[in-house]
Amino acid sequence: MLLTTSVGSLPKPDYLNKARSQVRKGELDPAQLRKLEEQATREWIGTQEELGIDILVDGEQYRGDMVAFFAEHLDGFKESGLVRSYGNRYYRKPIIVDRVRRRQPVTLGWWQFAQGLTQRPVKGMLTGPYTIMDWSFNEHYPSRRATTLALACVIHEEALDLERAGAQYIQIDEPAVSTRLDEIDLAIEALGIVTKGLRAKTITHICYGNFQALAPKLTTLPVNQIDLEFANRNFELLDTFRRMRFTKEIGLGVVDVHSHRIESTEEVIANLKAALKVFKPEQVFVDPDCGLKTRTPEEAKAKLRVIAEASRVVRDELCG
Amino acid sequence: MITTVVGSFPKVAESGYGTTLIGAISRWQRQELSDAELEQVFQEITRAVIKEQEQAGIELLTDGQIRWEDLVTPLARKVEGYEINGLNRFFDNNVYYRRPILHRTPVRTSPIFLGEYLFARGCTSRPVKVVLPGPYTVVALSEDRYYKHERPFLRSIAKILNEEARTLAQAGALMIQFDEPALGFGRPPLREVVEAINMTTSGVKAKTALLTYFGRLSREILDALQRCHVDVIGVDMVSDPKAIAVLKRVKWTKELALGCLDARNTKLESVTELHALFDVVRKVVPVDRLSVNPNCGLEFLPFEQASQKLKRLVEAVRTYRNFATQNF
Repeated sequence: MLLTTSVGSLPKPDYLNKARSQVRKGELDPAQLRKLEEQATREWIGTQEELGIDILVDGEQYRGDMVAFFAEHLDGFKESGLVRSYGNRYYRKPIIVDRVRRRQPVTLGWWQFAQGLTQRPVKGMLTGPYTIMDWSFNEHYPSRRATTLALACVIHEEALDLERAGAQYIQIDEPAVSTRLDEIDLAIEALGIVTKGLRAKTITHICYGNFQALAPKLTTLPVNQIDLEFANRNFELLDTFRRMRFTKEIGLGVVDVHSHRIESTEEVIANLKAALKVFKPEQVFVDPDCGLKTRTPEEAKAKLRVIAEASRVVRDELCG
Repeated sequence: MITTVVGSFPKVAESGYGTTLIGAISRWQRQELSDAELEQVFQEITRAVIKEQEQAGIELLTDGQIRWEDLVTPLARKVEGYEINGLNRFFDNNVYYRRPILHRTPVRTSPIFLGEYLFARGCTSRPVKVVLPGPYTVVALSEDRYYKHERPFLRSIAKILNEEARTLAQAGALMIQFDEPALGFGRPPLREVVEAINMTTSGVKAKTALLTYFGRLSREILDALQRCHVDVIGVDMVSDPKAIAVLKRVKWTKELALGCLDARNTKLESVTELHALFDVVRKVVPVDRLSVNPNCGLEFLPFEQASQKLKRLVEAVRTYRNFATQNF
């Protein structure tokens, strides 16, 4: 119970950021970059083990943006110029220009590499079809619905590959799921296509949402675990769950990924205990609110350490 | 049929005026660049986006809102009583804004956008309109920990926007536009919204516009907006496929700013489909009371596509005018 994990991304070390920018400028051979990505992945697997995290992630050292990574590896997408997402942050929003198809597995190779480094389970990390649709421009499909369903079939194939390779946990990130209230059912339908027939434990991570609208749907999401950001909403989300019968597992975001401040172990313990008044211990998985890639490596480690320590303390108390 | 833009323009342009702003803001955040040095960069990019609009053939320009990180932060930062806070999703976009918190009576202590307006006006001989957030959208995008009721909050923001608009009009602004995307979501309290908009535009000696975009507008909302003291009302014909049907049922008394190209998708509209839209709309609002623009700010697009869309808009209007003079 109270198993600890990460949502997905972890910050890239400076040497990797530097190498990525050198590759973009044509100053470094992509094969060299691959070596550094492997090194960074190895380091993060080691760090997570040392900190005592139970379910590991590969840290996505080889991914830029969670949607762009899939767009780069699937047929039918074209790269765009920069668009701004907030403040001074920009990304390349992919453009769907043709039928989306999977030439070859997208995430499988990296998952196998990471799982080969550790005895602990490594999560398979996928971006959900609704989010890929919502975060891409579309010049090909006639509607948002057609785009989403086409993507769902492609992501389902990828999930099957991960499961066949032995992944025990497959997470499908859908941060965009509650962007448009009238499309929540479409997002759920697409998620159902992705998880159909999977025996691996399935998780979906949702953030920045309109939870009031999503709340009645939470119990019907076709996954075993729902991972949400609790910390940056002062754990007010607990009220939503207090009022409903919720039997799935919950991924409990206990540290704010957009704040430089490192939460104290005491406050995370207090918040975990508050959550345990709403959820059963075996329902709860403890993690950061979201991917930690926007923090520095030091901040990310410090936040993960707090998660591991607080969970250990509460677990020990529960076991008497 | 005047061609115009809604407000924002891409802040970076890999195939145009470059990406220097990103590095400049990072250095300024690390205090390696002074306020004055950052201002230089803002001015340089503003000058470039004004030139882009001129070259595309746009007639009524904006400064591209290059300094604006979102629709509400620039105002909230200058108004006493506000605290800038964490990120929230900006309506139904994969774009985030800082949701400010109101702690006490908001007070405007000095002009907020005057400097930016004067600079932009000096960059071009074409008219430059001022773009401000509308009172309802400011309230909708803020967290209110002071009034706890919508009406007094709306009234206090309307008062601030009115002071700002009067200042800008006195400085010579020909047109002041208020953006109200929040009207397309949920059920806006229409009586209070109309009251706030009328307070906002009261005594402002400039042409005024109220622009809606995103979401969907009911006939009830559009009817209510006809009662507001503004000269132009803008409608996004792209985001809601039913917008045309709704528009047809409204007794339109204002000028209409027609949001007709999708500034949230890269797919380029054809001249033919734009002409078809103009044909339908002119039956509701005669062409001499029509201006045309993308459905929302162009910052949701990469520079390349933003630029193509503007050129397409101008091309569609130019050919439509020729067609109209030959046939009517």
